[in-house]
Amino acid sequence: MNTFSEVYQTLRRKNRGQYALLCGCLFFSVLLISAYAIIMRSPTVMRVLPEGGDSRKQVMMIFVLSVIGCGVFSLYAAMLFFRQKSRDTGIFFALGAKRSLVERHRMRELVVLSTVSCAAGIVLSIPFAWTVWKLFRLLIVDTAEMKLAVPLQALLIPLAFAMVMIAALIVLGYRSIRRVNIIDIIQESHRSEPIHAVPRWYGPVGILLLGGGALLGYLIPTFTVLVLHWYMPEALSALFYLPALVGMYMILLHTVVNGWRKKRHKYRDLIATSQMKFQGRQTVQNLLVMSLLIAGAYFGSFYMPMLGTGAMIAYDAREIDYLYHFRNDQDIPQEQEVRQLADEYAVTITDWTQATMLRLAVDGTEGIESDNGALGTTYETVYFNPVQSNLFLSASSYTALTGQEVDIPHGTLGAVYTSDGSDNYMFNEPPTQVTNTQSGEKLDITDVRTLTWESLCGHYVMNDEDFAVLREGLPDEWIETLCAFDVEHCDETYDFGKALLYEIIDRSGPEVELYDAWDPVEKQRVESRGEPYFMDPENLEVNGLVGIDYSQRDSSEFRMYWQYMPQFRVIDKADFVQTTGVFLMMFVFIALVCFAAVFIIAFTRSMTIAITGKQLYEDLRHLGASNAYLYRTIRSQIRRVFLTPAIIGTGVIWAFYTMILYFNDNRLSVQEMLGMLLCAGIIVGISALFYALYRMTLRRACAMLEISIDTH
Amino acid sequence: MLQVSNLQKQYQVGENRYPVLKGVSFTVDEGEFVAVMGPSGSGKTTLLNCISRYIPVDGGQILLDHMDLATFDENSLADVRNRQLGFVFQDFLLLDGLTVRENILLPAIIGGLVNQTVEEQADHLCSIFGIEKIKNKYPAEISGGERQRTAVARALINHPLLILADEPTGNLDSKSSRAVIHSFEQARAALAATIFMVTHDSFAASFCDKVIILQDGVVWKTLVKGEKERIAFQDELLGAIREMGR
Repeated sequence: MNTFSEVYQTLRRKNRGQYALLCGCLFFSVLLISAYAIIMRSPTVMRVLPEGGDSRKQVMMIFVLSVIGCGVFSLYAAMLFFRQKSRDTGIFFALGAKRSLVERHRMRELVVLSTVSCAAGIVLSIPFAWTVWKLFRLLIVDTAEMKLAVPLQALLIPLAFAMVMIAALIVLGYRSIRRVNIIDIIQESHRSEPIHAVPRWYGPVGILLLGGGALLGYLIPTFTVLVLHWYMPEALSALFYLPALVGMYMILLHTVVNGWRKKRHKYRDLIATSQMKFQGRQTVQNLLVMSLLIAGAYFGSFYMPMLGTGAMIAYDAREIDYLYHFRNDQDIPQEQEVRQLADEYAVTITDWTQATMLRLAVDGTEGIESDNGALGTTYETVYFNPVQSNLFLSASSYTALTGQEVDIPHGTLGAVYTSDGSDNYMFNEPPTQVTNTQSGEKLDITDVRTLTWESLCGHYVMNDEDFAVLREGLPDEWIETLCAFDVEHCDETYDFGKALLYEIIDRSGPEVELYDAWDPVEKQRVESRGEPYFMDPENLEVNGLVGIDYSQRDSSEFRMYWQYMPQFRVIDKADFVQTTGVFLMMFVFIALVCFAAVFIIAFTRSMTIAITGKQLYEDLRHLGASNAYLYRTIRSQIRRVFLTPAIIGTGVIWAFYTMILYFNDNRLSVQEMLGMLLCAGIIVGISALFYALYRMTLRRACAMLEISIDTH
Repeated sequence: MLQVSNLQKQYQVGENRYPVLKGVSFTVDEGEFVAVMGPSGSGKTTLLNCISRYIPVDGGQILLDHMDLATFDENSLADVRNRQLGFVFQDFLLLDGLTVRENILLPAIIGGLVNQTVEEQADHLCSIFGIEKIKNKYPAEISGGERQRTAVARALINHPLLILADEPTGNLDSKSSRAVIHSFEQARAALAATIFMVTHDSFAASFCDKVIILQDGVVWKTLVKGEKERIAFQDELLGAIREMGR
């Protein structure tokens, strides 16, 4: 060995574990971010998550959180690496190595290692994303629409992330050797960052801020929309969550510095507590990022159980097994044909009801938005007559369908709600006038009463005589037929249901290939102002929505958004996972990325604790500490790293989710409570996995500190 | 060889400044074996770190072979550390990933001086300090005394003007301590090395030609061995320490 390069190479070979951890963390963070970006930016996901929609925002929000998390764990891995290298570096300087010599080797090494790791992460993220996608299709749900294409522009995100990481690594590496004090460099690995005294009120005040911040962040934007008619910019509304973040930080500070236990056993955890305190700043920052990532991961994990539980209960709550409606200008199978089809599939139809519905114009208000640029959007409520259309049933048809005797006097309406009120948003305000758009016949409405029937939620019911008068002169495209029937052994009629569904779709004309919010009255009103109607098929894509396409009849967009999508309980239940497959995959993947990031942070933090505490544990051993005592001490430290963010992250998201569900309609419905129960199951499962990872980390730390774990 | 005049150093902790060296002055002649003693906190290690300029100094002059180290830039200091100074630390500071022989050669490698002669010199040093049998072992595989003798050999590989040793026996048992002190004596005899050693140990200091006793950042007393027997000099040292404690 004659040259400094050879020394460097030898040390690299000897310390390959340190290099492997750094490169592994970099590789893994870029891989996760890249795979996330590929899946998030894939055309399928982009199509299913509408632009500006809540789901897209949630995915983006958690993506940003994941980028921060992955960035944090990569930086901590880098800091750990430099700490481990600092002794060797200090010795080089002490023996007379010039900074330029060490710098040259350090920088060359860092650039090569980080570039290779990041490049490998980006390149391998494509097969990784593909494998995850394929596995998902193989094991969970497979639909024709779930095609993975890798948009090259998606790779710009990990590329930018990798460049930031490489730059950060170089800056950190540069800083680690630029210090003047050589003794400080040698002793870097023993350096501590104590937190100054933290008053005990930080804990309770932190909790108050956390709760208050979450309430503020959620309620203030709602308040500004409803009362001030102002959609504030998203960045501004996010600011209201800041107290929650501060609160979380204070809780973590209090947990690390003071702990929550009373001081009765203050000496029991003396070493663990003081050690945590003396690595304070980084520990608290680590715990904060981990708590946020755990909250984000659970947020992603809860999406589908909540959606699924709500949907399943809603499907079960329907009074009718099969229900569909169509415009009267369409040639759609009716009773005779349906019964024939049922015979082919050996399905017994037990009852059949058919009703006529009128599409009539109603008056009401609409929010007219004005874009104020950086200040967000404001709107004013303007009255229009007509404003939109609704479907109306006659009272006798309603009774025939539901079996409910209703008394609807002339000039009044019944509005059909669900029993749990979950779809009440479908009625904004009661109309005061109903109009036949063709004849111009009008009916003033003096009262709107509430009716309850799940399957017809959103429809109006009117007096038979009023119905007959308003029907006069209405052409077929403004009249619809509603067919409802029950069958024997509904759960066993999937094939029949599918055949009937396909028959209805295949026989529907292009004039009804429409989005569910398409409204002919609204269209006329908008076009009369000289504006294009945003719900017209040709304008959907411009507005970030997916067009309805009969050839994509099994796609989630079609099933969720076709205006004439039948309600077939057996199909809706069986195809639920398939219909929502892309959502499910996206959110499962998000959870995977976040949890992976959490584990790596916890692992690197725990290893840092073991490395910096090595001398301390040696000293404790010299002071006569038993193996059991040493084990208890390191376990206590590592348990805090894993347990504190797990409790805070899980608690926060649980409380936040409950708050969102509650404030949706000022109550928690049975569906919501059952959904939360399912989410609790997920928490238990993931916590068990987290515990296993904690045990593995503890074993590694004990091995590093030469503490026997076998007796425990 | 080494002339330190009015050396000053203070540490800052938060808002507070703590003076550690308050104008220390002394000289070390060529071939001398000098020890610095004093109670904890008297500034012994700080003095050594200032001479080597491992830490910045606040004032005073450090002349090594008539060169004022306090005025040197970073690169010149690196050259001095590599060619003119040799270091022995209390906790050895050997690189765990290199063998004993590679550790000894490290200053020469850093200075780009390795050739056949230097490699032979490394082997010769191993033989002088009785570590030739372990020269291919790693630091984790050898005893504390062997590690410190390796560090002494490393300090000598570039034929420095001065060896700076910080508590070289501090982490060693008595047998290993003797071996390390013996290695200094050998270095002095065989290689005409000048040694400046910080120690707590009156036994180790009793082998020196001169002992500088520091108290509260100033030179309290300098004792010269002269023609005295080692044991008599150790008694004198112990007496001085007793006197300082009164």
